[in-house]
Parts: sequence; C-alpha cells; structure tokens
Amino acid sequence: MADAVTQAKWDKLAPRFDTMASAGAEKRWGPFKSTLFSEMEGKVLFLALGTGMDIPFFPKGLDITALDISPVMIEHAQERIAVYDGTIEAHVMDVHDMPFADDSFDMVVTSCTFCSVPQPIEGLKALHRVLKPGGKLLMFEHTGSRWYPFRYMMNVMTLITRKLGPDMNRPTVSNVRAAGFRITEVRNVFLDVVKTIKAVKQPA
Amino acid sequence: MDSRIGYVIGDFIANVVLGAVVGLLCWLIVGPSWNMWIAMFLMMAIGSFMGLVGFFVVARWLGAMEAMVPLMFTGELTGMVVGMAVPMMPFTAVQGLIWGAGCGAVAMVIIWIANALLSGVTRDGQEARHG
Repeated sequence: MADAVTQAKWDKLAPRFDTMASAGAEKRWGPFKSTLFSEMEGKVLFLALGTGMDIPFFPKGLDITALDISPVMIEHAQERIAVYDGTIEAHVMDVHDMPFADDSFDMVVTSCTFCSVPQPIEGLKALHRVLKPGGKLLMFEHTGSRWYPFRYMMNVMTLITRKLGPDMNRPTVSNVRAAGFRITEVRNVFLDVVKTIKAVKQPA
Repeated sequence: MDSRIGYVIGDFIANVVLGAVVGLLCWLIVGPSWNMWIAMFLMMAIGSFMGLVGFFVVARWLGAMEAMVPLMFTGELTGMVVGMAVPMMPFTAVQGLIWGAGCGAVAMVIIWIANALLSGVTRDGQEARHG
C-alpha cells in the first residue's frame, strides 16, 4: 500500500515538475547523469521515474523496470517512455512495498530519489533485497553537507522543501552503508551536496 | 562544479546582483543607532531568506543546488558584513549596493574554492567524509 501522503505530494507537483526541474537542474546535471547511467546493463530497476526526465540519458536497448509512487508523474512520463529505444515498464509502486522476488535485478539505479523516500534506510534495504548478489547500485543524489555553512543552509531549506517535495539534508551515503551495501565509489559533483554513489550487494 | 562558461557567468552575475540587493536592504532596514550584533544576526537571516527567493527566480536557468547554495551563502555573508557595517559608520545606499555586490563576488569565489577542495572521487571505504 503506497504512502498516501507522499503520493499526494508528488501527484500535486507532477504538472509543474518539468517546468521546475528540466530547464535548470536537468541541463546542469545531464552530463554527470549520462556518465553514470552509461554503466546501466542487464535487468535494471530504476527509481524514481518521475516525469521521465532521466530517460534521455539512458543507454539504448535496455530492459528497465521503472517505479514511481505517483500515478500522475507516470502519466506525464508516457511520452518519454514511448520514444525510448528499449523497454521501460513503469509501475506505480512504493519502494517500501515492492512485490518483486528476492535477487530479481542485475542493477538498481536511482536519481534524486532518496531525498524523498520517507524511510530511506528501509527503502534502501528493500533495494538490497531485490538486487542480485554482486549486483550494483548506482545513485545520482543530492544530500546534506558535512560542512558549515552549507549544512546549516540545507537544514533550513529542508524545513521549507519537505512540505513541497524533497528533503535537502539526508545522509544518503551513510544510509546506503547502513542498508548493507558496500560502497565502491562516491563522486562529489557539486560541493559535497550533489553526488554520484556506486555500491554493490556483497555475495552472501 | 560546472565549468561551462554560461553557468560560470550566470552564477557570478546572480550572486553579485543578489549581494547588491541584500546590501541595499541592509541600508534600508538597519538604522545607525542599532546594536551592530543585532543588526548582523537579523540581516544574516534576512539575507539567507533573500537568497532563497533569488534561488526560486533563477533556478529555471541555473539549476537546483548549484544555484541555491551560493545564493543563500551570498545572502548570509552580505547580511553579516553590511548589516554590521551600517551601524558602525556613515553609510549610503550606493555603498550598500557596492559592498553587497562585492560580498556576492567574494561568496562566489569561496564557493568555487570550496567546490575545488570537496570535488572528486573516493573509493572503497574512503568515503567517511561524505554525508
């Protein structure tokens, strides 16, 4: 059962989402996302799909299962899904409540997702469960900062943005580790706030 | 950080303009008889808020965190410097604009330096410094 509050928040934001994010952030982050997503291979689980703004950065010909908690976001993503040169199967689904069997995917990819998942460590544990042993987790995320004054700014911003959408101060790298992944690489894209994270599910 | 020239210039101009606006606000709000510490803390808070407002104005062109963090930093720094300066000396509106613009430029340079120090890759368990 999807978290109704989170779902309603993103449903409400969906019609304005492209205007808010695409022209600025997506153009700026595009080259970094392209580089990260170029490593996508095998059977991929992607979240959160949103309005599909990440789709143009996907390598061609992949078999991707994409999730988002918001049905309105997925409605807006249909046009981009249709033009993707590969297969994207989009589902309205809460990461906390995925019906996939254990060890289902070769790779899990997230893009600005764990700023919004209500219980991030639990969500990451759910991803750990569905990832095959040895499978990779690739993340493009914004996080809190360890450094003043940036840490203070992210905390202040979060008081405002939490009501509208994402948190700005999540310790996502620590959360990934807490969920049982082994982190293999962290690349700071902007300060220590925007980053790519690579991790693996260690074989049992 | 982005080295594309359009973003470099855009970031710089946005921060200089915001600094000038906050500098002018300091001149408008703070009186010459104010306690300089109260003026400083109040204007730091107002400056940060103005940075947030500025972010919503330019986010469409300059992005998310890359716009928000420098602008809030500029607002805070300008509020601190100009907010404290106004009660300490005779201060004109033009000085507020110039000092504020200068603070915006300095803030942007600090962000570039901080970014150069923090950017890069860590591998295999060396990531303890990351949030």
